Amino acid sequence: MKIIVLNCGSSSIKYQLFDMPSKSVLAKGIVDKIGLKGSAIKHKRDDGTSAVIEGEVIDHQSGIEYLLGVLISKKYGSIKSLDEIDAVGHRVVHAGEKFSGSVFITDDVIDALEECVDLAPLHNPPNLKGIYAMKELLPEIPQIGVFDTAFHQTMPAKAYLYGIPYALYDKYKIRRYGFHGTSHKYVSHRACEILNLDISMQKIITCHLGNGASMAAIDGGKSLDTSMGMTPLEGLIMGTRCGDLDIGALLYIADKEETSIPFTNTLVNKFSGMLGVSGISSDMRDIEEAANEGNERAHIALEMYQYRVKKYIGAYAAAMGGVDIIVFTGGIGENDTKTRTKSLEGLEFIGVDIDQEKSMKSRSKEEIISTPESKVKVIVIPTDEELMIAIDTYDIHNLLVEQTSQI
Amino acid sequence: MIETLADFSLGKRIQPKGMIQKVGLIGCGSVGQEITRTISEYGIDVVFLDVSEERIAEIFKDLENQLDEVINHWGLTPGEKRAILSRIKGTTDYNDLADCDIVIETISSRKRGTSLEIRKDIFSKVESVVPRDTIISSNLATLMISDLASVLKYPDRAIGMHFILPIYKTHVIEVVRGIASSDEAYNMIERFASMINKRIIKLNESPGNIVTRMLVTTINEACDILMEGVASVADIDTAMKESSGHLFGPFEMADRIGLDKILKFMDNLYQEFGDQKYKPSPIIKRLVRANYLGKLTNRGFYNYESGKPVDQTVTCAVIK
Repeated sequence: MKIIVLNCGSSSIKYQLFDMPSKSVLAKGIVDKIGLKGSAIKHKRDDGTSAVIEGEVIDHQSGIEYLLGVLISKKYGSIKSLDEIDAVGHRVVHAGEKFSGSVFITDDVIDALEECVDLAPLHNPPNLKGIYAMKELLPEIPQIGVFDTAFHQTMPAKAYLYGIPYALYDKYKIRRYGFHGTSHKYVSHRACEILNLDISMQKIITCHLGNGASMAAIDGGKSLDTSMGMTPLEGLIMGTRCGDLDIGALLYIADKEETSIPFTNTLVNKFSGMLGVSGISSDMRDIEEAANEGNERAHIALEMYQYRVKKYIGAYAAAMGGVDIIVFTGGIGENDTKTRTKSLEGLEFIGVDIDQEKSMKSRSKEEIISTPESKVKVIVIPTDEELMIAIDTYDIHNLLVEQTSQI
Repeated sequence: MIETLADFSLGKRIQPKGMIQKVGLIGCGSVGQEITRTISEYGIDVVFLDVSEERIAEIFKDLENQLDEVINHWGLTPGEKRAILSRIKGTTDYNDLADCDIVIETISSRKRGTSLEIRKDIFSKVESVVPRDTIISSNLATLMISDLASVLKYPDRAIGMHFILPIYKTHVIEVVRGIASSDEAYNMIERFASMINKRIIKLNESPGNIVTRMLVTTINEACDILMEGVASVADIDTAMKESSGHLFGPFEMADRIGLDKILKFMDNLYQEFGDQKYKPSPIIKRLVRANYLGKLTNRGFYNYESGKPVDQTVTCAVIK
């Protein structure tokens, strides 16, 4: 069974063609610079054949049309015709409070997602464009939506409400939603698979540390709390985002610097975080290099990053009444041995015992980095959101087939 | 043979017409620069035409300073600034407008007397280099698009636009259909407006549209209040801002736009309607004669230091 997974951004479409249930990736690529000059498809097939094909891609629909054309082409294709595609899985960033799991996309689902556009004005519109385009190009093929926010819908009110007038929640649904749900779900499940543990009995803290970063407290397989809030700004310090910040400080800055709301938004989203503090880069590798050369601000930035991760581990351990597994994922979580080690330093009191040698070597692969005696298992798992989307799409597709055959 | 994506098309549909990738601007004074910046910020290429290479270099310097100012206020990253500037080209040659989807005439309206003939000439020149489906537009405050379109071979492609200052902050554009304007042209401008995040205020052709007409009468009235000794410049501004929620008071607004321009708008509207309410106030005439043109010359109704008003130039007559 062949499944296409699409991740549509404002000017790009990332795609993967999966064979299920074998989970093998037959081809993947990106349609880049949609609607801009220099648009192209960068395509790679599982046998190593790769190509960069340039041409005018005016919108998402034409981008998807071309990528389908490439997938069925003699030269670069992996399938003979579009009829071989059984389902399409879409990554959708924000589903508000509407969906707590992945769903078969119907007109009602589309309406519900349209209603969430206000909550994710940058992300949901391109996601929807992908859905509309596929609907037109492959009208007979089921489409499944997998939502970044869905996994965190199990958070209790005490974790998702802000301490502001309840009327604002009633009126505008101002609350914490959380993001990276697909990743937190995937790595928590995968960790239990590797450790051969029943997820329903585990207290897990997942650390998705990438350019955007968030952590989650997962109790018995369900998200109890997560560090990102209504927008992906809250929580950890990120590449260019500030994370937790006193709103009073922000109002003071806006007043002193005479910045408008959109400018303040840019300040906290693009000028802050590791870039803002270090003044060097938003890339962890550059900052570490500078710190090694004795740059004081780079050093402070790294300490702040690690400290914030550690603080959240402590908070989530307290929230769950303990912790059994800590998972690291995302570009930094998977590769940055120092950040991992420093974030866990001093956590022996809750039962973390790291195998230093293993931890310093482990990069981009599934590996347990705690000692066999460690009460808390610490594990590195490369995230695979696309695979998770493919799995959900596969499951829902099978369910649909089952339901149809019963009728 | 080099492969292109078109070779992989499924032929499912015809590519939609009316893509907007490049916009041409004729004249890049202060308003033209604001329009240039805004269009480029939204990812559309801009080519502006101005009088000389020296002037083009000056304009780029201005644009860079403006963008740096935004960066200083955290509104833009240096990377975004580079991207914005990379989409802007300057030229002195009309032929460089040949691949524009829309060309907007934005010459400065500072010189005394009507600029109608100059603008008409520009319209003809633009039409001689662009393809049939290019929209030709003009940023018009008090002139009429049908007048300008009359020189075109295909007047259906002309649509009037009026960008509202400060362009990077306001969310609307006044759009005027001329007598001959086609639906296609109008739809294209509507699409363009939405691409640069502006809503359209649809108007029937009339000098001064909504904004300029309301504005000049308000400024004239404010001048009357000032001349009668009722209140000071700053107090009239404050009262209007507070009571009506305006961003700027009438005098601040006049200074921002430029008193020479305001005078010209008033002259045009007075000529068009013959109504006394548009007749320029003597204060404005006096200030313009003295080259007190507003923010541009650092003197208008207010004195300016580093772009900020420090005190008033016109004092209110007080009866004791």
